[in-house]
Amino acid sequence: MGKIIAVHSYKGGTGKTLLSVNLAATLAKQGKRVCLFDLDFRAPSLFAILKLGKADYYLNDYLNNTCDINKVLIDMTARIGGKGKFFVGLANPETEAIRDMSAKDRKWEMHALGRLLYLRNALLNDGGFDYIVFDTSPGLQYSSINAIVAADLVAVATTGDRSDVDGTQRMLKELYNLFEKKTGIVINKVLDFNVKGRQEELYDRVKNTYQVPLLGIVPCFCDILRAEGNFIFAQDKPDHPFSKLLDEMAKKIDANEVK
Amino acid sequence: MSKEEVLGKKPLVILEKIKDNLERLNEKIEVIIELQKHDHKETLQPLADAPLDVMTLLSMPDHLRKTAMTVCRCGRATADEISSQTNRARAVESAYLNQLVLMGYLKKSRKGRKAYFTADKETES
Repeated sequence: MGKIIAVHSYKGGTGKTLLSVNLAATLAKQGKRVCLFDLDFRAPSLFAILKLGKADYYLNDYLNNTCDINKVLIDMTARIGGKGKFFVGLANPETEAIRDMSAKDRKWEMHALGRLLYLRNALLNDGGFDYIVFDTSPGLQYSSINAIVAADLVAVATTGDRSDVDGTQRMLKELYNLFEKKTGIVINKVLDFNVKGRQEELYDRVKNTYQVPLLGIVPCFCDILRAEGNFIFAQDKPDHPFSKLLDEMAKKIDANEVK
Repeated sequence: MSKEEVLGKKPLVILEKIKDNLERLNEKIEVIIELQKHDHKETLQPLADAPLDVMTLLSMPDHLRKTAMTVCRCGRATADEISSQTNRARAVESAYLNQLVLMGYLKKSRKGRKAYFTADKETES
């Protein structure tokens, strides 16, 4: 039985897309069949990160009920290599499409939730995929909450920023817990990672402040900033410490260690 | 049809009709009991075709959210099917489902003796 993972955060700029792309690629490299979807309809970015041109069909079309999900999927397996499969579904980056998605009403959002829930049948049960990864928009956006409701596991990207810590804590209580979602924390952009006592301090924070399992701690890597979104680390830099961390995260998720 | 067949079938039809009506009455009593338990009379405002979107789910009391989310996941389900997923008694689920119908969030339809609940007519199931 496959699994749906929603990568979410309270604030923007916490590294959700970086995490989503690399986690999906890592799972694919480990032999899994993975679908990665861009659910950040207000600021689509997967098309740019994966250097893809204009697509024939977008996830917007699927949610608007104008096409089947198979039309949206783009096979990126050759880009990743390995034994698995790697497909992506893009959000339409055109301004008109972003405007259109921002103006949807509650009834449309309810249908969209139904379409996202249906992906479990279409892709995991019938399509033979092992994982669906949703890259969401930050905060309490309709599309993100729809993704969270449809997901089996929420990977929450957070930083040390005070407002981010506070917002993440509230979302754990008032969003993920209410929907009874398994949640794992990824602390990203950690400074002084190798300073004595720093990692213990972060473990304590996760234990006391968030009170949910820790998926991983990612140091602030200058290499990631230098890459300017040009690399999929899991594929292009497999020996980089970030790729090693992703390997561990993917294994934790696959072994159902996040309860 | 012979005289015996008519005489033999008629009481059965009447009894089945009585059983159906008792079941419907039972569902209504279950709703009233649950409303009394949770003291959420104010939530029972019939709304015409209210969308069951995620913001609505978030604002629901916990006991109803669990049932509503399970219906969303199933697309279309009976109280028995919901009960097997939530691990709560069928009668309790039946009461919550009927409460959600009265609130306008779910649609109820009957097929033979079974009552089916749906969140969205157009959702694939």
